[in-house]
This record gives sequence, C-alpha cells and structure tokens, in this order.
Amino acid sequence: MSDSDPDPAERPGPPGDPGREPLRGRARFRSALHPRATRAQAVAAVLCGLLGFAAAVQIRSTQDAGLSGLRQTDLVRILDDVSEREARLQAEARELEDTRDRVSGNDSLAALEEARDRARVLGILAGTLPARGPGIQLTITDPDGEVGSSVLLDTLQELRDAGAEAIEVSTVGGPAVRVVASTSFVDAGGPEDGSGVEVDGTVLESPYQFSVVGESRTLAAALDIPGGVLDVLAQRGAQGVVTQEQTVVISSLRATPSPRYARPADADDAADDE
Amino acid sequence: MIAAIGLVLGIVAGLFLEPTVPTWLQPYLPIAVVAALDAVFGGLRALLDGIFDDRVFVVSFVANVLVAALIVYLGDQLGVGSQLSTGVVVVLGIRIFSNTAAIRRHLFSA
Repeated sequence: MSDSDPDPAERPGPPGDPGREPLRGRARFRSALHPRATRAQAVAAVLCGLLGFAAAVQIRSTQDAGLSGLRQTDLVRILDDVSEREARLQAEARELEDTRDRVSGNDSLAALEEARDRARVLGILAGTLPARGPGIQLTITDPDGEVGSSVLLDTLQELRDAGAEAIEVSTVGGPAVRVVASTSFVDAGGPEDGSGVEVDGTVLESPYQFSVVGESRTLAAALDIPGGVLDVLAQRGAQGVVTQEQTVVISSLRATPSPRYARPADADDAADDE
Repeated sequence: MIAAIGLVLGIVAGLFLEPTVPTWLQPYLPIAVVAALDAVFGGLRALLDGIFDDRVFVVSFVANVLVAALIVYLGDQLGVGSQLSTGVVVVLGIRIFSNTAAIRRHLFSA
C-alpha cells in the first residue's frame, strides 16, 4: 500500500476529525516502512545515518573523556580549585615542617631540660613535689590553747619574709599540711577550748611544728627578733623552740590545682591589654 | 525503513571506527546531535501528517544543526556558552517531546 492509492476510507477527513486521523497516520507509517528507492527515503537514510554516527561518536567520547571534553571555563575552574588546594596543602606542609624542626632540633633538648627545671621549681612552690634542704624546725607547744590562727599566720608570714622556700605545718607526730600560696588558717574551735587550728581543711593540734626549708640562720634570726614570733608566743604562755638542721625533709604534698576559669595568657594578649 | 537501516549503520560505524572528535568540533557535537534528533522527530511527524518532503527535511536538518552550533559558538564568544547550551538543549527537548506526542497520537491514537 502506498500513498498513491488511497483507500476511500482513509481519505483525509475534514481537519479535526479525531476518528480517522490515527488510521491515516498508521497507514502512512506502515507504508514508510516498506523499503523503496525513492529520493526521500535515501536522503532520510543518509541524514539518519549521520545522526547515528555523530551520536555514537559523541557518546563514546563522553564516556572516555576525562578533562578533554570539558569547555574552557570548566577547565579554568578546575585549575583554580587545584591550585587553591595545592596552596592550602603547601601551607599545611610548611607548618608541619616547622613543628618537626622545632621538635627534633638540637635546641629542643636544651629547651626540654629548661622546661623540666622550671617544672621542678614550680612544683616545689606549688607543693606538688617533695622538698628537702637546709632549714629549721619550729615547734610550738601551746598548753593553754592561746595560740590561734592569727599567731600561726603571723609566724608563716615571718618565715616567708625570711626567705622560706618550702613550708610544712603539722601536729608533732600527727597530720601534716604543705603550705602554699592559698593556704588558710582557721580557728577550729573557740580560742578558749584549745581545740586547734584548721589548716586547709585539716585540723592541727598543739604542739604545732613548722618544717621550713631555707637559709636556716636567717630564718632562726627572723623568729627570734624582739617583739617577733617567739616573743608573742611567750606572751601567750606558749613555747616556741627553733632548731636549725642540715636537712629538713618536707614530704607532704598538695594535689595539683586545676583552675576552673583562669587560662594562661599569651605574651601577645598581655601586650594588647597594655 | 531505509532511514532506520541508515541510523543503525551510522551507530555501528561510529562505534567501530572510533574516530576522535576534532577539538574545534567538541563543544558543538553534542548540541548538533540534539538538534539533528529534533529534525528527525520533526520529519517523522511530518511523514505521519502526510506533509513529508525530503527537501524540507534536509534543509531543516542542516539548518537545525548549523543554528544550534552557531548559538553555542556565539555563547562561547559572549562567555555564556554553558548557559546558552543548556537553553538550546531545553528548547530542543521541548520540541522533541511535542513531536513525539503528535507521533504517538498518530500511531496509537492516544
């Protein structure tokens, strides 16, 4: 069947006749499927072949194209990304190399030794390390309970003024407390009943003993000045005995305090504040 | 029928010859393929409408491809190549869909 012998039933109906349109189209499609050597068929075949060829080539080149199929702007963007990434990685590498040099360099050994020394000194000051050295033992016997927290605090201040480097206060043969910057003295009971002094939460009873590391002669002299600690003790009916010793061992420790709010400030921060 | 055979032959040739796309053609080939696809569907619709004409088909095929390539070229020169390519593909896609809708109505009366 071809277009040249139209069936009367398939004659084109008036436009918009829905019943006949499909039949007409289907018949034309069927007729077009018959291979005929008309010019129209040949031209269509050539162009369709061209389309198929181009599509196949394009699909193939898209599949195996990495960067070669991209347009210039995309390539520039990718290049930018890559260079940015490279710069970032190089900066990171530089930083890591600096760190490595700092850690592995010869200077670091000396710095480490210095830091250890510093930690030792600070540990003695903060009461986290035991200490030993020349110093004095001050024993205060207080039978009447007249020596309260204020007297002990005065004694401590006198010792500090005299250059005491590590101080421990204890009941003779009893509990001992390392004295640090934050140490407090509180009367445990009334001044009359002689129930002792609370030092950093530990109740100490008479006789009290101060173990002090420092220049022993200076310390002894500081306590012995007229109107000084020993005089005050004597006025209150207590007895203070100072013995200078070659080696005073202070073994009581404090837990390392961890500040809740304070953080180390950089030198830069300090400069900014000024 | 011959057209379908030509299409298959072209695909087979493209797959087996494995030609490399010249660099200057690379931006235009995908758009040209879509434009040609539009022309082919238009031709199929015209065939079913009974108004198919080989001269019109050739002219529309070539013109579609050339205009699409021209638009892409112009877009590349103006710096909006990728956006314009997208636009061309969208327009051609819409045309292809409307053509296939007409073809579908002819063939399946639905």
